[in-house]
Amino acid sequence: MQAPPSTTHEERRARREFLKALAASSAATLMSGVPRRLTAEEPVETPPATADSCILIWMAGGMAAPEMFDPKRYLPFEIGTPVEKIISTFPAIDTAVDNIKICAGLENLAGVMDRATLIRSHVQEDLGHILHSRHQYHWHTGYVPPQTVAAPHLGAWMAKLLGPRNPVIPPFINIGQRLEGHGESEELKAFTTAGFLGSEYGPFNLPFPEQAAAAVRPPKGMTGERFSSRYNALQRLIEKSPHSEYLSDYHQQSMLRSVDNAHRLLGSNDKQAFDLELEPRESFDKYNTGVFGRGCLLARRLVESGARFVEVTTEYIPFVHWDTHENGHTTVDRLHKEVDRPIAQLILDLETKGLLDRTLVVIASEFSRDMIIEGVPGSNARDQSRAKTDVLKEMKHYGLHRHFTGGSSVVMFGGGVKRGFLYGATAPERPCIAIENPVSISDLHATIYRAMGISPRAAFDIERRPFYVTKDGNGKPVADVFA
Amino acid sequence: MTPSDDDNNSLVFEFKIRMSSLITIALILGADPQPIDFAHDVLPILKAHCVECHGGDKAEGGFSLNTRELLLDAKAAVPGNPVKSPLLERVLSTDPDEQMPPKDKPRLTAAQVDVLRRWIQEELPWQEGFTFAAARYEPPLLPRAVLLPPVVDGRANPVDRIVDRYLAEQKQPAPTPLSDASFLRRVYLDLVGLPPTPNQLAAFLADQNSDKRQHVIERLLADNTAYADHWMTFWSDLLRNANSGTGYIDGGRKHITAWLYKSLLENKPYNQFVHELIKPDGESEGFIRGIKWRGNVNASQTREVQFSQNISQVFLGINMKCASCHDSFIDRWTLDEAYGLAAIYSAEPLEIYRCDKPTGEIAKAAWIFPKLGEIDPAAAQPQRLEQLADLMTHPENGRLSRTIVNRLWRQLMGRGIVHPVDAMHTRPWSEDLLDFLANYLVENNYDLKKVLALIANSQAYQSQAVVLHEEPADGFVYAGPIVKRLTAEQYMDAIWEITDTWPNAENRGPVAALLKAQQAADGKPRRVRAVFTALDPLQATLGRPNREQVVTSRPDLLTTLEAIHLANGDRLTDTLMRGAAHLLQTQQDAEVLVDQVFKHALTRSPTTAEAEIARDIVGPTPTQQSVADLLWLVFMLPEFQFIQ
Repeated sequence: MQAPPSTTHEERRARREFLKALAASSAATLMSGVPRRLTAEEPVETPPATADSCILIWMAGGMAAPEMFDPKRYLPFEIGTPVEKIISTFPAIDTAVDNIKICAGLENLAGVMDRATLIRSHVQEDLGHILHSRHQYHWHTGYVPPQTVAAPHLGAWMAKLLGPRNPVIPPFINIGQRLEGHGESEELKAFTTAGFLGSEYGPFNLPFPEQAAAAVRPPKGMTGERFSSRYNALQRLIEKSPHSEYLSDYHQQSMLRSVDNAHRLLGSNDKQAFDLELEPRESFDKYNTGVFGRGCLLARRLVESGARFVEVTTEYIPFVHWDTHENGHTTVDRLHKEVDRPIAQLILDLETKGLLDRTLVVIASEFSRDMIIEGVPGSNARDQSRAKTDVLKEMKHYGLHRHFTGGSSVVMFGGGVKRGFLYGATAPERPCIAIENPVSISDLHATIYRAMGISPRAAFDIERRPFYVTKDGNGKPVADVFA
Repeated sequence: MTPSDDDNNSLVFEFKIRMSSLITIALILGADPQPIDFAHDVLPILKAHCVECHGGDKAEGGFSLNTRELLLDAKAAVPGNPVKSPLLERVLSTDPDEQMPPKDKPRLTAAQVDVLRRWIQEELPWQEGFTFAAARYEPPLLPRAVLLPPVVDGRANPVDRIVDRYLAEQKQPAPTPLSDASFLRRVYLDLVGLPPTPNQLAAFLADQNSDKRQHVIERLLADNTAYADHWMTFWSDLLRNANSGTGYIDGGRKHITAWLYKSLLENKPYNQFVHELIKPDGESEGFIRGIKWRGNVNASQTREVQFSQNISQVFLGINMKCASCHDSFIDRWTLDEAYGLAAIYSAEPLEIYRCDKPTGEIAKAAWIFPKLGEIDPAAAQPQRLEQLADLMTHPENGRLSRTIVNRLWRQLMGRGIVHPVDAMHTRPWSEDLLDFLANYLVENNYDLKKVLALIANSQAYQSQAVVLHEEPADGFVYAGPIVKRLTAEQYMDAIWEITDTWPNAENRGPVAALLKAQQAADGKPRRVRAVFTALDPLQATLGRPNREQVVTSRPDLLTTLEAIHLANGDRLTDTLMRGAAHLLQTQQDAEVLVDQVFKHALTRSPTTAEAEIARDIVGPTPTQQSVADLLWLVFMLPEFQFIQ
């Protein structure tokens, strides 16, 4: 390419006007040449998308499958019981599907399991001595850290490859996770990012659902009128700038387009989706079991308004929530109360609003938990339990206090997956490893991507190497789960 | 690709025949006693049907057959076992998703398939040293003397002598000189990271000396604190240095912040700087230690291999990331070379892994440019590192000096002489310019400031930026400087400077004490730059990386999420309100305020039309709120956010 020929002032202005018009319709397309989209040599047939939106419900810290969707032999708390005898600390209950039982405490979810595909054979790689955030990094990007380039989050891939559904709603929204002020926040930040795809595709972080409205409101102390007159003045100033001619078009256009996008969101009625105060009281109360429940409500409102990918987390904080190093049963009993009703309500609401068929809801976690085994049998993972004992002596000993990577549960609703369907199984007795149809992270991702109409081999060229949406392009969708 | 002649009169496969019987047929057809000849039998088939997508720098699906080893790494063929070889299976497949070549390309003839089968059967003979990798530009290693072209129109700076000759050869017009005010803004932001104050601007414009530009460059580079403050950003990115981040949780990482800052303050010669990083003594050891996450790590990401990758990228502009898994198919580096560097660092015998699988071979510590000397693999680790540091900083190592001067040129001129800056095997647009700057660095005792001064004093630097309609692609022709976006740190610093809302020196990590001491020395409150503050969401969205990896370029486009932060973020809003209050303490006249803010932010007064719009916003009697709005307007202008 020759250097661009010099042009006259008028030509440049005309060109800018043209680009400006063009820019209004293309929100996030013009990227700098790096990274470059690769076309695979083998045209992998990606069936048409069965879902337009995805909600990932993240059970952060290791959701114990035997305490949730994969109940095993139940033993109640009794002083003197050898801990090696304990697999589940909750009894099983019936669900709306004959061959599916889940744990007591999940009565609302039991009622909607006829809309679900339940995978009981999700497995994770053994990474040795366990660091939650490292497994979470693996789960959210498909790649085990460290990596030589910054790997993009699942939501960033969707934002990049599919774009926003509604141009004013950010395509990747992340609800409920604080990224500051606790022990592993740096590790969480490392994957809560669009990585090499660039921050245009990064997460819109809303750590507190009830404060989401503030994130899209004019700054505090500013009226709507002042906010728009300020923006008008900016547009006029840019128009009158004597220096605009010296700016590269592609730089300036990107800047103007982004500022315009931002103001379209901030000035749009769609931003009401962020405001939980606008939800009718009765409906709000159904979700309001805590921050997580309100996060589910916010996710529903955002998907209704056209969000592409929303993650709602129970929040990862070391040793809190699902990270039960001691007192597991008591903690999970509380978690049941927090997650059961809002997730079930989310499914019912999406169904009532006619959105469930095109919204894939996924419940997942970085791994499961076990009473005895750390990692998988044979792993060099170190025992991290804080309630080490051979027999139950007090309540804090009762629960699944080790990290288990050999078999965990994933639930999928809507978005083209089968209803009332059970896939895979774990062994009935310890070690409760997946004994039927194991599903790796790559394959689970390929399944999610297939529902969204993305090939597992979609790739970008970064530093002249291919980087695939599933690791090395090898993810295989689990075809059986699709209706 | 041209299909070979055979294709035209070939018998077409009967695709419905099952594969096993096909192989039988092939066996019968290929009952040839002659052993297979790679160059004459196999090579033409691979050339005609495969390498378009799987050779040279193409590796569709991550598969390259540039070399026999790459073919085996990919498990495409099992030597001696055609039936178990996916390559043959793909070639024979009738599944449109599986078949090779893909369905829109001509298939292989039965005779060609038979050749491949026998080739695999005979354990894939390959011509020694042959590769499909394209013959590419091989940059010189040793320094090269440059004969300077004659001076044109009194432009005697060596940079201009080379650039003028280049522009004439390329039939490019001479760039338009930059005005004094635009020069001042650019040189301040480039050398010390801040825009000039209105007083500094006035003094410069009033100065009648013909060498005033040279003086301002000297003065800025002599301001050790401002220089070090600004260049901390560049070096922290390049050396992957942060005071917090992954790895710290298990003691798997060390920062080099204090060492780096002190090195910049004293303008440590670059050879000494590099030597201390490679053969560290205490404070600088964090760089070669890399980042260790808890748990088991992929073989290509161990500390030893990170060492190999990082020193190659940072100091030599070599991408060793490909080669640390298998022989690279984008350049000439091999797995053995990547591990040779890794073994220099490794305290234990280091087994080579190919694609995360152990090979049983132990890596031998080795340096990649033996022309300059060698590492003694039998020496202890500290001695090996010492030897490596000596070789890396060897005055004849032109690759080290070229790599850094190219990075400096990019910082000032917007694009490298070699682009990308981490791919130094790419042909520069001017070898003379690159080599001259590299020699200049070495001749001036590796003084980086001298190189910056040389570039900044050139007419090339002091000319208007070229207008680009799109991002430059291959075949780039230099026509002048390219605009640069302010880094997140420059953006914050400029706002704090203009509004006088600098953070204080409390809690600024490993250099807090140093910063406080500087404060005490000159009596004034220390301006603590953004680079010393923790990475906050505003800076993150403005492109400040978390420095998990080496970063050599920041995003140059504004994103929607950034714009949302800028439009309504609390942090910026608070700063602007505090800034407005500060400004109002000394100035309440609307017209003067508008002029002052424009001058500081843009190094110019507003035009009549601009002043009118700005005064509308500020109102006849400025309030804290209306002045905050004025500040926002100016800080959102593309002209403010770019260095032109």
